[in-house]
Amino acid sequence: MLKLQNVSKQFDRKVVLDDINVEIKTGEIVSLLGPSGSGKTTLLNIILGLTQLDHGRIIFNDMDLSNVSMKNRGFNIVFQDYALFPHLSAYENIIYGLRNKKGLVSETELQEYIDFLELKPHLAKKIGELSGGQKQRVALARTLVMKPKILLLDEPLSALDGVIKESIKQRIQSIAREYKLTTIIVTHDPEEALTLSDKILIINQGNISQFGTPQEIINQPNNDFVKEFILKQLQIKRQNIYNLFGEKYA
Amino acid sequence: MPNVKIEMRVIFLSIFLLFTVFLLLPLGTLFVRSFETDQGFGISNYLSILSSKDLNEAFGNSIKISSMTAVITTILAFTLAYAVNCTRIYRPIKTVIKTGILIPMLLPTITYGFAIMYSFGNQGLLTKIFGRNLFEIYGFNGLLMGYVIYTLPAAFLLINNSFKYIDKKFIIVSKLMGDGSLRSFLNTIVQPLLGTLGGAFVLSFILSFTDFGIPASVGGTYYVVATQLYQVMLGSIPDFNNGAVIAILMLLPAVFGVLLLNYLEKLNFHYDKFSNIELIQHKCRDICLGIISSAIIVAMLSVFAVMFIAPFLNSFPYDLTFTLKHVLSIFQSSNLTDIYKNSLLVAVLTAVLGTLVAYCSAILNARTSLRGKSTIDIVSMITNTVPGMVLGLSYLLLFNGSSLKGTFTIIILCNIVHFFTTPYLMAKNSLSKMNPSWETTGELLGDSWIRTVYRVILPNSASTVIEMFSYYFINSMVTVSGIIFLVTAQTSLVASEIKELQHFAKFNEIFVLSLLIFVTNLFIKLLCDYFQKKQSINR
Repeated sequence: MLKLQNVSKQFDRKVVLDDINVEIKTGEIVSLLGPSGSGKTTLLNIILGLTQLDHGRIIFNDMDLSNVSMKNRGFNIVFQDYALFPHLSAYENIIYGLRNKKGLVSETELQEYIDFLELKPHLAKKIGELSGGQKQRVALARTLVMKPKILLLDEPLSALDGVIKESIKQRIQSIAREYKLTTIIVTHDPEEALTLSDKILIINQGNISQFGTPQEIINQPNNDFVKEFILKQLQIKRQNIYNLFGEKYA
Repeated sequence: MPNVKIEMRVIFLSIFLLFTVFLLLPLGTLFVRSFETDQGFGISNYLSILSSKDLNEAFGNSIKISSMTAVITTILAFTLAYAVNCTRIYRPIKTVIKTGILIPMLLPTITYGFAIMYSFGNQGLLTKIFGRNLFEIYGFNGLLMGYVIYTLPAAFLLINNSFKYIDKKFIIVSKLMGDGSLRSFLNTIVQPLLGTLGGAFVLSFILSFTDFGIPASVGGTYYVVATQLYQVMLGSIPDFNNGAVIAILMLLPAVFGVLLLNYLEKLNFHYDKFSNIELIQHKCRDICLGIISSAIIVAMLSVFAVMFIAPFLNSFPYDLTFTLKHVLSIFQSSNLTDIYKNSLLVAVLTAVLGTLVAYCSAILNARTSLRGKSTIDIVSMITNTVPGMVLGLSYLLLFNGSSLKGTFTIIILCNIVHFFTTPYLMAKNSLSKMNPSWETTGELLGDSWIRTVYRVILPNSASTVIEMFSYYFINSMVTVSGIIFLVTAQTSLVASEIKELQHFAKFNEIFVLSLLIFVTNLFIKLLCDYFQKKQSINR
């Protein structure tokens, strides 16, 4: 279990996160949802260990990781732009970290990851030759082979289009279930958060607006912000579909 | 950006120390020495220099000729860049312009003067072809011609690069809006380039104002600041304190010029998008600019033609039979081959170490969150401002009594510092465009910071590193002004040896040595271009 206790952060005297308290169970998919500048990426970076917190504690499986370096926390991330190394092939990217941690995964396990993410036909390709969805899967494979204790995803679907988005969404859910991997996702899209996650942490101006399951958020919004930000957007989307295609699709 | 690591601090401290000892301290010493008099400290050195008729005249001459050079160079460079970017002239002509313009950069400036003498002198190649003396070469005319040839490549590269960032779609829009040719030209080409044109003017001015090679060879009795400084320092009675004053005064236009360059940068337009459009057909424009630009290139290169002919003739221009004796005598002279080896050694070490220093500086600035990293930008501004002669002189003053005096080390260090700005900016520009998450990703995949730099950052910036190496190498081979105060009989280099050979009127040797520099630089340039191309194909 991951516990965030009284986590606070300021940048240039501006409060970015204010006393955040959350508990995330093992194997859960949790979305950090909020508008731009709400503090969700900062929170993700604090969990990762990239950004140092000002106050509070990060506890994982009863161990205080607040002062543990990013490298030693054992968490891993897929960045929004994937940060793949363009001079290497897809396969070389996937096994990049294994040169530093020999024996971490067996050859069979490695092939399983590759098969699971359907990357076999693309292994020899250079990064520039891959589509957005393929890049995303290579980045996921590269991260998964490092066997992270928690998988962090920064806006994983923002650069993808419709059908690929759905396929990656399903894949993320399968990964979390298959490997019982706690997965924390940053997103600004309410629909994405509601359809992908077990729980959603809605952040506004550095504070938690609501933390709950998608059903709780839809049926019992805590405050006006949640209503406005989440429900209003969904209603507008629904109305647009209704206007275009009628009630059958709305 | 990755968290600050101990390795970053160590590298930063080393670089900081290097520039403190080999840039700030020498310049500080120079400044202090300029106030040092027999009676202690005071401004009497400045008063004596400012009241000296010769020096005032030299300053006036330098300003006058540098301004004229800057005007001519900017117009010519703009014409060439316009022909390359905004016309549909025959593509091979464009390639010739872009390649030919770079040739003078592969030669020391001191050679330009001798090439002018052998082309336009009484018995010169071009004088023979035209059948008469075209003009008096020693003094103003020769200097002006030399400076224009020297500054044209740099000004062209600057303007040509800016042309790439001009959205030519606006030419079409302007035409569609009913603008006449002149109005369209002014609004869509000149206006967006104003900052760059100003920059080209300032750059040409600074380069000519601070160059020593050209006036050393063809200046005659037309004194300029650089020759005055040389005379004061290495003349019959060296006067270090007055030399320091002249160096400080020489620094002023350069400082002013760099500040002006930074201001002019703001005038440049920045388009959000660039569209690739077909240029409008205009036969008259293409023919005219094709002829003009070809003429400029031919005129410029024809000056150097003699350099490729004279050393292979028995006694140019009197006995025109072919011979290899001049070339062979250079290779048989152990002294001159040793000097060539010295130059190679200095250029290779400068290129390797300089690239390392500039690359490390750029990586610290562009890709870490180190506190104080912006000091590297200040350093690069200073190295951009300080002329080679001033830096060399400041080394002479500071390290005169030290064990560094008369060593290759001091020459290499002087070159590294003197040419630091351009390679540093190349690397910074390239590194800042790369994905900012690579170091974090590398760390999460088990790499140390240094290892990620080696495994990821370096391979992805290999092309820039090769370009930096090439820049450092070529400039180290051709520089005269930077090292003229630092070389000794044991550490003599080809470019400085050419200056010595001038006293003995050994022009064949001068040209053969110049050819050696040219061929070496050309070889390195082609080799680097090949590796760069290979890199881009692999991507």
